Amino acid sequence: MSIQVEHLYKQFRVHVRQAGWTGAVRSLFKREIRTVEAVRDISFTIPSGEIVAFLGPNGAGKTTTIKMLAGLLYPSSGSIQVAGYVPFEQKAEFKKIMSLVMGQKSQLIWDIPPMETFLVNKAIYEIEDRAFRQTLDELVELLELEELLTKPTRSLSLGQRMKCELAAALLHRPKVLFLDEPTIGLDVHTQEKVRRFIGQYNREHRTTVLLTSHYMGDVTALCDRVLIINHGKLLYDGELDMLTEKLTPYKLLEVQLSSIPDISWDAYGELVDAKEGKVTLRVPRERIHEVSSRFLQQFDVRDLNIEDPPMEEVITLAFQEDAHVS
Amino acid sequence: MFRKYSVLLRMKYVEMFAYRLATIVWMTGAMVQPLITMMVWMNIDPDQENAFIFYFAALIFVERMTSAWDVWELEREIREGTFSYQIVRPFHPIHWAIAENIVYKALFLVILIPAWGLLAVFIPALRLDQISAAQWLLFFCALLLAAVIRFLFSYTFGLLGFWVTKVTALYGMFEAVSLFLSGRIAPMSLLPPFLKTISFYLPFRYMVGFPIEILTGSVQGMDIVYGFGWAAVWCMFFMLAVLLLWKAGLRKNQAVGG
Repeated sequence: MSIQVEHLYKQFRVHVRQAGWTGAVRSLFKREIRTVEAVRDISFTIPSGEIVAFLGPNGAGKTTTIKMLAGLLYPSSGSIQVAGYVPFEQKAEFKKIMSLVMGQKSQLIWDIPPMETFLVNKAIYEIEDRAFRQTLDELVELLELEELLTKPTRSLSLGQRMKCELAAALLHRPKVLFLDEPTIGLDVHTQEKVRRFIGQYNREHRTTVLLTSHYMGDVTALCDRVLIINHGKLLYDGELDMLTEKLTPYKLLEVQLSSIPDISWDAYGELVDAKEGKVTLRVPRERIHEVSSRFLQQFDVRDLNIEDPPMEEVITLAFQEDAHVS
Repeated sequence: MFRKYSVLLRMKYVEMFAYRLATIVWMTGAMVQPLITMMVWMNIDPDQENAFIFYFAALIFVERMTSAWDVWELEREIREGTFSYQIVRPFHPIHWAIAENIVYKALFLVILIPAWGLLAVFIPALRLDQISAAQWLLFFCALLLAAVIRFLFSYTFGLLGFWVTKVTALYGMFEAVSLFLSGRIAPMSLLPPFLKTISFYLPFRYMVGFPIEILTGSVQGMDIVYGFGWAAVWCMFFMLAVLLLWKAGLRKNQAVGG
């Protein structure tokens, strides 16, 4: 097992401050401390080589969990093993086989070109000259970095910087990769590129990848398995397709007709939309075959399309705690 | 280790030149306060003019060789969360800070030594022909120790950033005390006796004043031995402090920010 997490908890103690003048003064004399439970009893395992997405709304506990896995945060209780190491023990051997990329933070040294950071990482991770050149060449080609290497980091665009961040994180060929919102703020085209790179890298090097993202595109393109977390609790752990079936027991049936007859659609399914000859219905999964064949028999059908509901909708449902998906 | 350091030193060197203007402004800016203090003392006691010129010139040199800014860097990095990347890499963050200190201080050294030589041509008070070889040796040892203590002092406070968000405010308070007790406002010999006694036991004298005293000859014989003894004690104290605060701080770390 590459990553093994058992009954993980993390509590933070935070100072509560009231807004405004009086609140600010009051907090000088009396500090109110509140305990926030960021992660509550999370357990999961990820076999090596797998790529898994961590989903959840803002503040769900995704980043906190990733930070514990990377050894940055000390768990309040529970156990973590990553490739046989306990992350918080801060062993150099552990740090050499893992890597962390945070979309909102930079490891590149700000005022000098990315290549300088790469060279520092080469020394720190004790990468052999040959291995370094080979890895760098590969990353430069895959991520199209050639022209970026010698420009000061601060002059790079967000997308260019992110590609260099990924390269910096992969130079030592980590076995485990933690990606915290790697595509945040990127345009659709760059998102797609970064995504394709991560997928390809995972396939070629059998790197275990755990990624968090707000973009469904990242998840559907890269991962078969998702972990859904909200309010610090794990709500779902399993295949993405299964989640769709569980949460949305219907499919969307789109039928293009020569003209829309003025009838009630209740016998077929729940009407979503009917305009310009196109009828969209929500039909229970078990009835989809029957309903579509009835359409073909009874109407002049020009085109018929069966789709799963959009992923965003599924996830929104999954985030609701009463969804009981696990 | 040696290879890692050579790469870090090179990187810090490149980085320093990316900020070349800031470095120069910062360096010259730091000379203003001792120069003004020097003029004040020369005005108070004109008979000692030459002694003051020598003392404060030496002060500027020692000040540049020992001053540490790590508390500001660490506070910012911890507060903004970029320190996380230092923690996850397999090399203790203190080495980055040490490398930076070496690079900047080497730069100051190559600027200040010729500058001193040039000024000594015109200002007889700055000539160094009275200083013995033994004094030089002791001076450089004391200077090195001073740089180490001041660096560790700054780093200790920086690590407190794991607990206190604005740790530089606390540091500023100690700096204010240090200004008087380290010999930066007045030579040690001019301090009231009780302050002199206190400063003997506190770390501040060994961050700035002690090496200058060796150079001017105002500390002699066994007092030099005691001085080195206390400097060594403080050096070890702050080493231990850094070690313990690092361990405890990591447990406290909130690794702020997405």
